Amino acid sequence: MFRRPIKEINAEFSAQEIHLDDIRRVVRESCVAAGLPRKEISSVLLAIEEGATNIIRHAYLYKTGAIRVRIVIFSKQMVFSLIDSGRSFTPPGSEGIDFEKMVESGRKGGLGFYMIRKIMDSVEYITAAGFNELRMIKRIKPDRTEGRPFLRRLMSLRVSFSLWTFMVVLVCVGLSYWYANFQASRQLHQHLDDTVLSLGETIAEQAAGLLINRRSHVEFDQLIVSNMRANPELELVVLTDTSGFIIAHSEDVRSLRKKYEFPDFVDQTELNIPQPYQQSGLESRYLMLHISAGERILGSVHAVYSAENLKSQLGEARKQIAYVTIILLLFGVLAIYLLSNYFVRPIAQITARVRRFTSGDLETELPLEGAEEFFEISRAFNQMMTRLSRDRKNIIEREKLAKEMEVASEIQKTLLPSKLPNLPGMEVDAVYRPASVVSGDLYDIFKVGESRYCLTVADVSGKGVPASLVMSMLRTLIRIYAIGEDSSRQILKKVNDYLSDNMPPGMFITIMLLLYDTESSKANFVSAGHNPMLFYNASQTTLQKINPQGMPLGMPDTLNGDFADSLEEVDLEIADQDLLFMFTDGLSEAVSPNGKRYGLDKLADFVAAGLSQPGQTDVSQLAKSITEELDAYSGYAPPSDDISFIIARKMSSVTQRNLRGQTEVDSQHIRDADKR
Amino acid sequence: MDHGINISLSEREASGISNVRVDGVIDTITASELEQVIDSLVKRERFRIVIDRAGGDYISSAGWGIFISNIKLVRQNGGDIKLANMIENVREIYELLEFENVLRAYDSLDSAHVDFGDSGNNIKKKSRPKQN
Repeated sequence: MFRRPIKEINAEFSAQEIHLDDIRRVVRESCVAAGLPRKEISSVLLAIEEGATNIIRHAYLYKTGAIRVRIVIFSKQMVFSLIDSGRSFTPPGSEGIDFEKMVESGRKGGLGFYMIRKIMDSVEYITAAGFNELRMIKRIKPDRTEGRPFLRRLMSLRVSFSLWTFMVVLVCVGLSYWYANFQASRQLHQHLDDTVLSLGETIAEQAAGLLINRRSHVEFDQLIVSNMRANPELELVVLTDTSGFIIAHSEDVRSLRKKYEFPDFVDQTELNIPQPYQQSGLESRYLMLHISAGERILGSVHAVYSAENLKSQLGEARKQIAYVTIILLLFGVLAIYLLSNYFVRPIAQITARVRRFTSGDLETELPLEGAEEFFEISRAFNQMMTRLSRDRKNIIEREKLAKEMEVASEIQKTLLPSKLPNLPGMEVDAVYRPASVVSGDLYDIFKVGESRYCLTVADVSGKGVPASLVMSMLRTLIRIYAIGEDSSRQILKKVNDYLSDNMPPGMFITIMLLLYDTESSKANFVSAGHNPMLFYNASQTTLQKINPQGMPLGMPDTLNGDFADSLEEVDLEIADQDLLFMFTDGLSEAVSPNGKRYGLDKLADFVAAGLSQPGQTDVSQLAKSITEELDAYSGYAPPSDDISFIIARKMSSVTQRNLRGQTEVDSQHIRDADKR
Repeated sequence: MDHGINISLSEREASGISNVRVDGVIDTITASELEQVIDSLVKRERFRIVIDRAGGDYISSAGWGIFISNIKLVRQNGGDIKLANMIENVREIYELLEFENVLRAYDSLDSAHVDFGDSGNNIKKKSRPKQN
């Protein structure tokens, strides 16, 4: 499944500082469209501005021109290209920046490029004939922090701890309030009942004395009245004889000698036990006692007494309980607040320490104290810190090494032709893109005789420093042995003779070497195990793959014969508009994001299609379209293998006359690979 | 987008601190304006400089360059250049670019001023975290 771009934005601006705003606007709109998180947009804008400023200030220092902005949006990344046609420059390496040194010297160079590298996920600087491209890739990461719900953030550990403990305290205090209230009410009732019971018993005793002595009704009345005066809670007292006739009644004097009527809802069998009794909405108790003298029952006392007074007493008691409860609750809340502060403090300490850590302090250790959990966290953190600061030292070492690689890369670049020689009657262009900082690929074009030129592409097995060192050696050897030689096979034979004794075992080189005579228009070439080249025959409009036989350089001689015997030398007559396309397999073996190889056939088809288009005569145009095709195929990923190729086309005699005397074409193609 | 910056300068005689409030984007064009202000402060030997960024978006390399090219001279004279009130976006970029190795940032003007209250040597030591 090929990852297609979602959108491509192209815009062109005159390279002047007043247009920076317009560039910013285009970039901002694209970023918003691509769904880049808001805070990343700001930094991307900064990087783009740095890139554009660099072009305005340096690429167009001596002339005016345009900046082309191309933004390709994919689902997971954005590719920003700033393209100019001014002077190219060598971007500083990606090893970072030495602030100490910068402050010391007051120099501020390289800051802009450093910022671009820090902000973008990948940065490439590509120079080709006539244009430079600063390509920056930013991955689109989903924004997590912005999506954090407000409520979740509000629920800090401390807040939720406080809430939970507050609820627990609330329930406890509530229960104890209810219990205290219940107890108080029960005790007050009990007390009242006890009081009235003893009062009833006193009345019964007095009444018994009167009954035994057969006193008059007046004395019974006096007894009742005196007791009721002494106890205002008593509402009604009635004395009856054994058969239920009323002897004395506190309210109704006329009911004497009448049968006593029990009020409704009163259990007539319950003796000595107060019963609840409602009377015109007020709460009362009913109590019945026997009047007895020893074993003999002489009559009954019926008393009704009010519990209203008790209710007000109870209210008073409740109020006091409530005060105590509220004080307890407040104390509890205060305790929770202070305790949560106390327990959370170590977390705050650790957080503060980690913050300092993000701003570079790896030295200060956390104090090992506090609760067991925090002790463990602090210890683990300190251990991590020790490890990190050790790792950082290693990283600094590694960066130093990377810096040296950078230097190696610089030296290697000087080995590649910075300007292609002017081949009379021949249009030539070349592209070179190393996969890592240093490369094992080689391409070279140079003069070897009066009208003879050598064109070569080679691929040293492996990548990186070892391959690049062998590549340097190879270039020197070819340059030495090719001078004055008219057989490509002879050149490689001599190179191999030297190399086979001096190359590390296990390494080998594939190479295609072509000698071209501009007078006779004849090409003579060999391939030492190299991939085929493409030859376009203009008169027949056909594209051929030419693959001469030959063993790679640096291989030991085999039973089949020695190296020189294995080489098949091909001679080819080049006619007007014929085209030679020599390349390393990094081009044909380019990999798409889903792991599919590009392939030689597809490459041949693409070149043929390009050549069949009317007006497609310029080789640098073709070189550019091939690199663009390759970028699109690989999804703008940095190449996994070094890529280099040479395109040479014989000009028709008409074109030749027009171009005679033109200056050399600047065709350095350097891509600064992103090492990370 | 409105282009241009607004620089306002307030100098405190007692503490010798100069607050430079810079509103707007410090980019290639606007940086020269800021450079003039900083240069004039340094010329007048006012070495305690606080850059107030409450009203500002990002700072480009031209802006950082001004601070870096002046910081040594300023620190040698017991002063410093401090950043205060950076908005969240700008602060994140500042941290991403590891500029805390060169310049110290503060959440408020007050905390920047308080830090000037320390002795000059102290400031110098603090503002350069050890590398190893």
